[in-house]
Amino acid sequence: MNLDARRYVILAFILMVGIIYTSRLFYMQVVDDQWVLRAQEIAEKRWEITPPRGVLFDRTGKKIVSNRTYYNLMMVEAEIRDLDTAKFAKLIGWTREEVCERFKEIVRGEGTYYNKNTGKRTPNYQKIRAYPFMKELTLEEVARIAPHLDNFPGFYEEVTSMRSYPYANGANIVGYLSEVSQEEIDEDHFYKPGDNIGKAGLERFYEKELRGRKGIRYIVTSAMNNAIESYADGKYDTSALQGPPLKLGVDINLQAYGEKLLKGKRGCIVAIEPSTGEILALVSSPSYYPNLMIGKRNISMYYPKLILDPNTPLLPRPLASEYPPGSTFKLLNSLIALQEGVITPSFGVACNKSVVGCHNHASAGNLADAIKHSCNPYYYAVMRRIVQQNRKKSVFADAEVGLNRWVDYMKSFGLGLTLETDITGLRPGRIPDVAFYDKWYGHHRWAFSTIRSISIGQGEVTITPLQMANVAAIIANKGWYYTPHFVKSIGENGPLPQYRKKHFSKIDTKYYDVVIEGMRRVVYEPGGTGRRALLKDIVICGKTGTVQNPHGEDHSTFIAFAPMDQPKIAIAVFIENAKGGGGLWAAPTASLMIEKYLKRKVTEKEREKTIIEAVFSYMR
Amino acid sequence: MRKGDSLVAHMDWALFVTYIIMLIIGMATVYSVAYNEEHPNIFEYSEKYGKQLVWLGISLFLGLIVFLIDSDIYRKFSVPIYMFTLFLLVIVLFTPKINGASAWLGIGSMGVQPAEFAKIGTALLLARFISTVNVKQQNIQTVLIANAIILVPMVLILLQPDAGTFVVFTSFLFVMYREGITYDPLILRVINRIPGIRFKETWVGGHFIPILFVVVILSIVTLLMSNEVLEFSFLPNVKVPGFYSVVATLFIIALLFLIFLRVVSARRERGRATLVVVLGFSMAAGLSSMVNYGFQSLRQHQKDRIELFLGMKEDPNGKDYNRNRAMAAVGSGGFLGKGYREASVSSVRSNHVPESETDFIFCPFAEEWGFAGTFVLVSLYMFMLVRIIIIAERQRAVFNRVYAYTVAMILFYHFAINIGMNIGFAPVIGIPLPFFSYGGSSIMSFSVMMFILLKLDSQRRDVLQ
Repeated sequence: MNLDARRYVILAFILMVGIIYTSRLFYMQVVDDQWVLRAQEIAEKRWEITPPRGVLFDRTGKKIVSNRTYYNLMMVEAEIRDLDTAKFAKLIGWTREEVCERFKEIVRGEGTYYNKNTGKRTPNYQKIRAYPFMKELTLEEVARIAPHLDNFPGFYEEVTSMRSYPYANGANIVGYLSEVSQEEIDEDHFYKPGDNIGKAGLERFYEKELRGRKGIRYIVTSAMNNAIESYADGKYDTSALQGPPLKLGVDINLQAYGEKLLKGKRGCIVAIEPSTGEILALVSSPSYYPNLMIGKRNISMYYPKLILDPNTPLLPRPLASEYPPGSTFKLLNSLIALQEGVITPSFGVACNKSVVGCHNHASAGNLADAIKHSCNPYYYAVMRRIVQQNRKKSVFADAEVGLNRWVDYMKSFGLGLTLETDITGLRPGRIPDVAFYDKWYGHHRWAFSTIRSISIGQGEVTITPLQMANVAAIIANKGWYYTPHFVKSIGENGPLPQYRKKHFSKIDTKYYDVVIEGMRRVVYEPGGTGRRALLKDIVICGKTGTVQNPHGEDHSTFIAFAPMDQPKIAIAVFIENAKGGGGLWAAPTASLMIEKYLKRKVTEKEREKTIIEAVFSYMR
Repeated sequence: MRKGDSLVAHMDWALFVTYIIMLIIGMATVYSVAYNEEHPNIFEYSEKYGKQLVWLGISLFLGLIVFLIDSDIYRKFSVPIYMFTLFLLVIVLFTPKINGASAWLGIGSMGVQPAEFAKIGTALLLARFISTVNVKQQNIQTVLIANAIILVPMVLILLQPDAGTFVVFTSFLFVMYREGITYDPLILRVINRIPGIRFKETWVGGHFIPILFVVVILSIVTLLMSNEVLEFSFLPNVKVPGFYSVVATLFIIALLFLIFLRVVSARRERGRATLVVVLGFSMAAGLSSMVNYGFQSLRQHQKDRIELFLGMKEDPNGKDYNRNRAMAAVGSGGFLGKGYREASVSSVRSNHVPESETDFIFCPFAEEWGFAGTFVLVSLYMFMLVRIIIIAERQRAVFNRVYAYTVAMILFYHFAINIGMNIGFAPVIGIPLPFFSYGGSSIMSFSVMMFILLKLDSQRRDVLQ
């Protein structure tokens, strides 16, 4: 037995372990990244600080959307000692059963984690984590609860910031916030569960601006999940930055006044400043009280009610409701006919009610009077001349050429396409084109007589009130427009670049004068359909519309701008199922809005009273 | 002692300096881990680093006393020392349990663990016993006595219970192996009953212990690696089953041995050496493959049971929870580490790795100094162990040699198990890392052990052969 050689066995054994350990350490520390990630998971936590969202001001500098501080009652199960559920329930004003149920709900709400390696399912809920036990408490509620929380270890209050709407108006403009969905989290890693995101209106469109920048603190946490120190002395931390304030073109007083006028009616008012394209007011009636849609608790309570309301308060009608424009459409057909050279301003037509019904008025001897009287047979004649220009032998092929040209003009007015307005929920409306009628009637199976209702804005044509107001603005500008938009400045910057680009209609400026004169006559000359819009010292140019529709009474509509020589406001009013024509309801409403905006006060008290007090049967 | 010789004239300076360096690194690590901003002074007695400094002072003082006493006393008094440590092991069983074990003998607020000192007593008596017998004529009686010397304290320690120290006591088996006390007589007694067989010795019986340990360790490592998948950041989409890394490591080791043996061994021995290495590698790789294959073909619940035993199972509140966090701390150190006092996972304040100042002190060290630090640490241990074996082999007295081997093997066990549980190679057994871990008993017992060795070595020339 060679015992001395055994020293080498032992030496080899020791050295082997040394080599194995060194290579293992090299692999773990230098090559393999998984432990770095695991260590971060264990000890280095990202604390996100969500800044308050950017606030919104109206055009006069009034804060219309701001932030308010709320409180959450947080719970850490591991720190709870001898909880007297009965006492605790009494403190927060719940029953014992509700408290127990809420515990279970929190655990359930966290879901479970499925480990693929072991095939085991473990709950995500952790006893050492803090969870909101009650959310969105007001200062009054928390002031009552907080002083007694010392008796209930494991519970504490936490501050959060939420939206607040100082004015009860413009809910359909600003939209609302709600908790992010899983899809939204997957799409944008800015969000984590429980964060709020703009779900509608400006809140949604300007989400990226309003949300600001999250502050991130990297901290080292202990096993009990307490922060113990900042990681790397805060080298990688970023501070939270509130989103920039948005200044809107909206005049909140005008908006509020518009909402007041439309109370008791379904309808919309859109007012635009023609020279800038800024939307002054966008009234959708009925609407809702914006403070109802703040926070999960309120939303879950009121949203179902609002969504089931037959009068659809959540629908932003001015953007999304596509109505036949009715007689207001005649203005556009006049302009197109003039541009096409198929009529002259002195073109006249006898009011022959054999083709189409009309109200009783003297026959229009010229275009301006035709607008004043809103003469249907006149516009049949005009439209026939636009559509059937005798450029082709076949009447069908000829209609196709004419309609194509007509559609081109309409598109240049922003009709039949979705405007690039800075809000969500916009609809394009419909300007029926060749393809549309071909699909409907078949190729070369239709001509003017088939599609004639579009000459008076009925039938297949639909446009949204926003587009109607924009048409009024284009006429006021005599041929151009900026895309209607809400936000005139983002922080220090002006509006988005797309709102600094002028769009031109395909109608020469000179043709607008006669149409504008016709619009003046609508209001100011005997026999005009919009006499009820008359104001004493402001010259309003307008056009009424009475829209026949299958849903009951005619809609009442009116588009206008004022003052005539230097337009400051272009407006479209649309009131659903109003008993009576455009002149009866929409025209006076528009005039009140115009006066309110230009004069800051309303002198036509009688007119105001009539409109405000009108409540239509479907709203009762 | 010869005239004119100073106390330290023949001291092995290389070992002593290594020991001191380790103490300093260990102290610095304890200071880093337990650092408290309110008491930044390292001499602050209310903090662990202040206490550890006191323990270090006591240890060095004990070392001085050891050096003043003539070395012969350890041989002469080995029986009373052994009996005294046994006595302590018995009375400690009647103390109240702390953390589930009756392991502490309190002297005021300071407690000591008799088990730590039982190692020294056992080492001395084992050395004494082996030095008195002629191992060339080992028989069943000598084998049984040697084993009894180890077994009695082992049983007492298991009663506390202290599994860690219990396992450490098996290190004495390696010393017995080196000295030729093997289980061969027992095996021969059985085998030679078979008619026609008359063996004088068996190879298996002689090398039973190292073979057993290699088999056990290789199996454990293979099992631990069998569930792992290796990925390399510079080789995307390449996934290597963990088991291959075991074979690859074995191959590299075999290659190193081959080169080493060709350099050191005589020309005529080379062929045999190559054969041994090739055979050893084949057998080890074969064993590893068998274990891996066997494990993979097990049913899930059987796997679960093995994994649970080895602490591999995902068990958030179990031992693997600690080990997983310890591994995260070690692995996140990177090449150069996070910097002194920058450990985020394993600092005492964060408390993610429990016992990070005692049993898991390797964690903060590895996290702060990275691979650069752990490489130096492992190298220091390797140097110290090799140095002790060199010292052992130059002793004239058998007593000294056996004692030196016990020191080497005890240190090796602590090193291997403690670091092994930080890198996922060993189950979590609570034993301290020598010279590093916070705690009076371990620092004192290892120091006394070291100083006895240094003293014996410095007086080796006085002993007549």
